[in-house]
Amino acid sequence: MKRREFLLNSTAVMGGSVLMGGFALPALAQDTPVKGGTLIWGHSETTQNLDMHQTGTASSGRVLQNIHSSIVTVDANLKVIPGLAESFEVAEDGLTYTFKLRPNVKFHNGATMTSADVKYSFERCKDPATGAVNFEVFNNVAAIETPDDLTVVIKMSAVNAPFLSRLAENGAGVVMPVDSGPTQGTNPMGAGPFKFDSYEVGTVVKMSRFDDYWEGPAHLDAVEAREITEPTTRLTGLRTGELHMINDIPLDRVGEIEADAGLQVKKWFPLNFDFINMNHTFEPFQDKRVRVAFDMIIDKEALMQGALWGQGATTASPSFPTDAAYNKDLVQRPQDIEGAKALLAEAGYPEGSLNIVFKATTNYPYHIETAQILVEWFKMAGVNLTIEQLTWADWLSQCWVDKDYQMTMMNFFTLWESDFLYYSVWNSKGAFNYRAINDPIIDELTEKARITVDDAARAEVYKAVQKQIWDEAHDIVLWFRNGTIGAQPKVMGLDTVVHPNGSNLNFHKVWLAA
Amino acid sequence: MKRFKTTKGLIGIVLLTLIALIAIVGPMVIPPDAATKMDMLARRSPPTWTHLLGTDQLGRDMLYRVILGARTSLEIAVTAVLMSIVLGLPLGLVSGYFGGWIDNVLMRLVDTLLAFPALLLALTISAVLGPNVQNTIIAIGIAFTPYLARIIRGEALKVAQMPYVEAARASGTTDGMIMLRHVLPNIMPAVIVQATISLAFAILAEAGLSFLGLGTQPPAASWGLMIQASRDQLDVAPWTALVPGAAVALTVLGLNMFGDVLRDILDPKSK
Amino acid sequence: MTYVLNRLLSVILTLFLITLVTFAVTNILPGDVAMMIMGTQSNPEALEGLRQSLGLNDPLLVQYGNWIGGLLTGDWGTSLIFKKPIAELLAQKAVASAIIVVMSMTIALCLAVPLGVWAAVHRDRWQDTVSSSTSLLGVSLPDFFWGIVMILVFARWLGWFPSSGIVEPSEDFLASLYYAFLPSLALGLGLMAHLTRMTRSTMTGILGQEFIRVARAKGLTERTVIWRYALANAIGPVITIAGLQIGYLFGSIIVMESLFGYTGMGWLTYQALLNRDLPLIQATVFVIAAVVMITNLLVDLLYVLIDPRVKLG
Repeated sequence: MKRREFLLNSTAVMGGSVLMGGFALPALAQDTPVKGGTLIWGHSETTQNLDMHQTGTASSGRVLQNIHSSIVTVDANLKVIPGLAESFEVAEDGLTYTFKLRPNVKFHNGATMTSADVKYSFERCKDPATGAVNFEVFNNVAAIETPDDLTVVIKMSAVNAPFLSRLAENGAGVVMPVDSGPTQGTNPMGAGPFKFDSYEVGTVVKMSRFDDYWEGPAHLDAVEAREITEPTTRLTGLRTGELHMINDIPLDRVGEIEADAGLQVKKWFPLNFDFINMNHTFEPFQDKRVRVAFDMIIDKEALMQGALWGQGATTASPSFPTDAAYNKDLVQRPQDIEGAKALLAEAGYPEGSLNIVFKATTNYPYHIETAQILVEWFKMAGVNLTIEQLTWADWLSQCWVDKDYQMTMMNFFTLWESDFLYYSVWNSKGAFNYRAINDPIIDELTEKARITVDDAARAEVYKAVQKQIWDEAHDIVLWFRNGTIGAQPKVMGLDTVVHPNGSNLNFHKVWLAA
Repeated sequence: MKRFKTTKGLIGIVLLTLIALIAIVGPMVIPPDAATKMDMLARRSPPTWTHLLGTDQLGRDMLYRVILGARTSLEIAVTAVLMSIVLGLPLGLVSGYFGGWIDNVLMRLVDTLLAFPALLLALTISAVLGPNVQNTIIAIGIAFTPYLARIIRGEALKVAQMPYVEAARASGTTDGMIMLRHVLPNIMPAVIVQATISLAFAILAEAGLSFLGLGTQPPAASWGLMIQASRDQLDVAPWTALVPGAAVALTVLGLNMFGDVLRDILDPKSK
Repeated sequence: MTYVLNRLLSVILTLFLITLVTFAVTNILPGDVAMMIMGTQSNPEALEGLRQSLGLNDPLLVQYGNWIGGLLTGDWGTSLIFKKPIAELLAQKAVASAIIVVMSMTIALCLAVPLGVWAAVHRDRWQDTVSSSTSLLGVSLPDFFWGIVMILVFARWLGWFPSSGIVEPSEDFLASLYYAFLPSLALGLGLMAHLTRMTRSTMTGILGQEFIRVARAKGLTERTVIWRYALANAIGPVITIAGLQIGYLFGSIIVMESLFGYTGMGWLTYQALLNRDLPLIQATVFVIAAVVMITNLLVDLLYVLIDPRVKLG
């Protein structure tokens, strides 16, 4: 493939998604939806625990999106909009949230949703004994009151501006029937468009239409999520027609499927962002000049073409491009090997004096490819980079928990909410700050954002955070990676499938043409 | 028939010498970074005049990689198999020769090793000792030991009951001498067959281990790593598997031809 | 009989040893299941909560004791990642794996024994070379290579078999075999090489022996001599290898099961290990170890039955 073609392709994607907001593409098919049929989906990952509160894996969340509904949700521009609550209100002081619930919302067990279910769900998530992944969302919640069946009032002990946004994801905002907790892991039940039928571990999740769904029944009779983790097998299944659709077309094969007139491809970004991490407790990386020099060694566009086969878009900011807080003024440092060499020498690391171990996880094969390309450029700049491959468990314990590494890279899915993103990842007290970054300016800004209730003002604060991260080269932000779906031509409504968080899939409006 | 036997042995020796030569001379002739040099405009190129054996997913020349990877792969395989022989031979020999409670104890030990999942062993070594070539050899060597021990024990058990061994025992020869002079030569054919096959498995085992972090670390080349990398591109770039696969096949073929001849020479029964 | 009882007793002892070693080793491994569940969404407080709710904070000995106690009383516990009773998971996955283990071993033996005999009979002639080359080709490329070739040839191009999936034998027995065929064939090719070499090697030894010459001198047909006399004597070591390969098979089914979306015991063990799901690791390792050891016990017994010269110690 020609490099120019690569570039053209990625610009097209970039333009498309920014204009259309990635998610809000109007359906091209003019036909009226047909009812019926079972969609066979070749799912790229294994579903684990099905309890929405206890699962942190993208795979389970992707499936459960069809079974659950949240109290609120977001539109394509990541603005919070009503979900199971038909309206919501935040008091001036930011300490009281009032939700008016939709009447006559049915759960899969036939019960009607009331404020008691909301109270039950939120308290279950808040209770440390539940082991909920998102329990910290409710940290400042002092009381959950239910004045009547359709009203929920949440009292906070301190202002937490991002609270509402955090409820827009099922992990925290899901509403499940009272006392269904103990069985959620094996028999997930909620108020979503599809009912859970069965899960054969590692093989298939079966769901069928829930006729009383509050947004109207789905078109499909049923969805079968067959778990096929091997990329070649998944592609073969799509080609032979055994599968109607697959998610996660291998990056290097997207072009090939797109060229196939008998198949359709849906692409969007971001599925996730990737960045290169430098451990701030490792001596050379305590010097800003070294970090900046490392940034200058990397040609991000070429790296993206090399490792992602062009299936992404480079960015200097990790905010979702549709978010108001996305800082458009930041530009990635261009590659400048000579400049980097000079800067390294100035910092006291002349050519050949730096030996760095780069830990990459085999869980993301394109990280290994990225690392291999980096080795070549770093060699040109006189830095000796050695790769160590780690399994996912080893990466998590060595890099994430023990911070025992010099250089690595990682990606994050679904971190569209700015506080969740910038506080967790870059604040010195952030839960995801595995680089041990300690920047007083970022700390101050991210704390300030938490108590800035005005949306526009808060967006400006986050833009300043992004600028600071870039100025200091705390990390090297690389790109947004594309999400992809490949499908048979008869699968309609694919434009409605992807949740604005870029990861979850929802089949409510999908149908199969006759 | 006699001639064929020698030709076969000759082919085997020629093949092995050739491969050994490539493994030794290759790195001296070819610049070391030829295996990692990327040509992004020729990724997954089928064999052409510029890239005689094609390129891989990062546009690296397969010919250079297969030559420069030879040494690493052979080092890993030979050392690991030697290690399993050093550990497994005495275990199996003693166990099979003496039988009784010694056999019982030793074989239970071997059974434990055999039933203990190799995967868990590899994961532990990779996580605790760290991913590198030396630890890969340890992992493969340990994993292969019980197989070898069991086969040798089976053979030794049979040989130990042969009339000539009984005779030697009756004439007062020490157990050590009998094992060395009578039992060992008789079980060597089985050991050789097992070892030559194990070499192929060892080269391939490295392929599987690289997924667990063990094995040769990229971007360095080894046959195992190359084969592993071919996994997701077999249907679009079959040469990425066939080139290192052919290297393994030729090595194994050479070893087996040579091994067969060696076996026949050593086997007292076929004299 | 005492021998069999002794062996059974030692199998139980070894199994106990294996559970202990597995438990210890798994605890040495960095990371735990809570960390794996939360992944890059984890923060220390939530992690602690999850650990508590999963019972990971119990002292190690208590955890181990609970597991052994449960094992003896028939309660295998619950998988921490899948939230399903382990006994139920095992029952389902073990059947799936049993099908491909038996099927692939049958395929391998059916191909390897005739090929090995053919090579031995025509020793050092072209037949021998053909036999060893084909069987060696099988081991020169890894299992996944043959698996993908099967998928491409039989599913994508010919369309004779499904590219992936699994059917429970209780639902439809023939369909379950149909789905198991491709992974079994790919596994069988890998197993074959070893068995062919062993058959050839032992057959060569036997064919050179006195009693074969006697049999031939008696005027028995060559066919009877080879298949009735020689093979009967050569089959012992072949069976030993086949038995040993059961252990090896449980290693290679991991790859094949993931490749074909045919999720059995190998896949389950792999998931358990990768996710540090301790109760599931213990259970899968225990079951596989038991199967491997009992197979080896049976092989030893069979060896005695086939080869009367071997006396039991």
